Amino acid sequence: MGKVTKRPGWPSWLLPAVFLLPALAPAAPADEFSFEVAEFARKPYHIGGYAELRPVLFGLDTDAALHHLRFFDRDEGGTTAEYNGRLQFEASLEKGIGRLFARVNTDYSNSYLGESVEAVFYDGYLSLKPSPSLVLEAGKKNLRWGTGYAWNPVAFVDRPKDPDDPELNREGFIVATAEMIRSLAGPLQTFSLAPLVLPVDGDVNDDFGESDHLNFGGRLYVLFRDTDIDLLFLTGGSRGSRYGMDFARNLTSNFEVHGEFALLHDVRKRVIDSAGDIAEQEEDAGSWLLGLRYLTAAETTWIAEYYHNGAGFSREEMENYFTLANRGYEVFQATGDDGLLRRMRDLAEGYGRMNPMRDYLYLRASQKEPFDILYVTPAATAIVNLADGSFSLSPEILYTPVTNLELRLKGSWLNGGSLSEYGEKQNDWRLELRLRYYL
Amino acid sequence: MRILLSLAFSLLLALPVHALDGEALLLQIDRNLNPETYESYRKLVNIEPDGRSREYVLFTVKKGLDKVASLFISPASEKGRSTLRLGDNMWLYMPGVGRPIRITSLQSVVGGVFNNSDILQLDYAAEYNVEKVEETGDGYLLHLRAKSRGVAYDRVRLWADREALLPTRIECLTETDMLIKTLHFREVKDFGGGIVRPSIIETDSPLYQGYRSIMIFAGIRERTLPDEVFTQTFMPNLESLR
Repeated sequence: MGKVTKRPGWPSWLLPAVFLLPALAPAAPADEFSFEVAEFARKPYHIGGYAELRPVLFGLDTDAALHHLRFFDRDEGGTTAEYNGRLQFEASLEKGIGRLFARVNTDYSNSYLGESVEAVFYDGYLSLKPSPSLVLEAGKKNLRWGTGYAWNPVAFVDRPKDPDDPELNREGFIVATAEMIRSLAGPLQTFSLAPLVLPVDGDVNDDFGESDHLNFGGRLYVLFRDTDIDLLFLTGGSRGSRYGMDFARNLTSNFEVHGEFALLHDVRKRVIDSAGDIAEQEEDAGSWLLGLRYLTAAETTWIAEYYHNGAGFSREEMENYFTLANRGYEVFQATGDDGLLRRMRDLAEGYGRMNPMRDYLYLRASQKEPFDILYVTPAATAIVNLADGSFSLSPEILYTPVTNLELRLKGSWLNGGSLSEYGEKQNDWRLELRLRYYL
Repeated sequence: MRILLSLAFSLLLALPVHALDGEALLLQIDRNLNPETYESYRKLVNIEPDGRSREYVLFTVKKGLDKVASLFISPASEKGRSTLRLGDNMWLYMPGVGRPIRITSLQSVVGGVFNNSDILQLDYAAEYNVEKVEETGDGYLLHLRAKSRGVAYDRVRLWADREALLPTRIECLTETDMLIKTLHFREVKDFGGGIVRPSIIETDSPLYQGYRSIMIFAGIRERTLPDEVFTQTFMPNLESLR
């Protein structure tokens, strides 16, 4: 959307807003035992969402390949700041068996690139529920398939999660779905079937895959002997056909295991070799994930996941890319020719995406209210690239001082050797403060 | 059904205490607390030692012995979240995350002293066997033991009023008899439809010195719902039941 080149700085209206937010929170009730149901009577409409401020400070790694690609023609020094704001607004309207729902996300950003504002419909769909066992939906929607926390290899119709912040809402795709549910007695407790249609044509889902295709997919879910099991598929031509299954089960009252397995046909990727020649490859790939959640007696929650992405780049392919990016920078410095750097930039959609390689480990520990400090949750997350040993480590602290207000301070430290994924990222570290107020 | 159970239990009361049928007593206490199938509105209040508090309002539906679903309707930061319990299985649905995730009975979706097992409470008779019944001055003391390892508390001591056959106090214990928390049942109220029960449950815990959590009931009524309501798939649609 509209962009104005300007040095980063807080917009003047944002700072007072930070200090006004706590004042909007309701005060503690005068009578702790008062409760009138009428105050919470159901309305045919709902309006809600949140407003967020998120300043970020990046510590740049001026020797890294991805720093060269982004900053080869400008000097940002050792650090750069970014000021972000977000307004996520949602509304619904219900009448009879019908419900309309919309979620609009508006992002404001002020960084070294200048100022930008972008508004996107994340969801917008009509839902019809003729009975508790049948739901029909059409419109833009997130389906969120899979049981994994950081990654979902079976999420065939979702935009990828950010493993650094997996609980964020994302933009959906335009689909039509039906969901039929049966609840049964015996070892098979629940059975549901959800077929879907996803068109890709002109402006409809134009970033999903090849145009002029009507894609079909579906999800069969069962709760069988206390285990969640899904069978999923997607076919139709915009992307290669893909099939998957996932499961989740509590082994004890504080220990859960989950997993996903996916077979992807005809996955395309652009690969550059050591000579700088680009080839478009198409191959079948298997991806899978195994994970667990464990709650200790001291109320520490551990999440661990191993992710194999069969469609990812090998270590050699990534090293070729980083080597050529570094060579391009040397050529630019020596001659002013940025041709190779720009070719590398064109490939960044694949090589520069989140977790582009094949084998990763995710580990997160969060502690509920340590030392009896209420409403404070510290956590630490590590994402390790098992092929090259590079990793990111992110400690954070979440505090909700009053109802509906969340403050999160989060740091990230990226570490890795030369030509490794995290070693060649543009940043060495980042520090982020997030203030979110629910409306 | 309630009348028949009450009649049967009145006959049991005529017997000497050593002949008390603990299982029948527990079943009757369960039925006096809630109909087997119902909907309710509850407010949970977490109170800190300095008097500050946080409130959550939930709409809850229950069916049979092992199906409970709850929907957060306040505050705004929690609105739309829902929890489902089928026996020992529990899930949390967060509108932002989308897909329901499995949670454990010992966690707490609201913080404070109540854990998920307290919030998604099944019938006591569904989770516990009666080991022993003692007669106290004005009622009964039931010693309960968990039926399986998936149950949140290994042992429970339940004090019940002799006349009303409603709990007055419940102590939740570990296998080694360590006290985890105490629930105090107060302010018996007529909710209509024959439901007369405590409207307030207050809990404290030696593990959370100075903190209290309170559950306030309103609007309990018998309601029959199809089994399909108690499925993961239906969790995003619980609001439509209100």
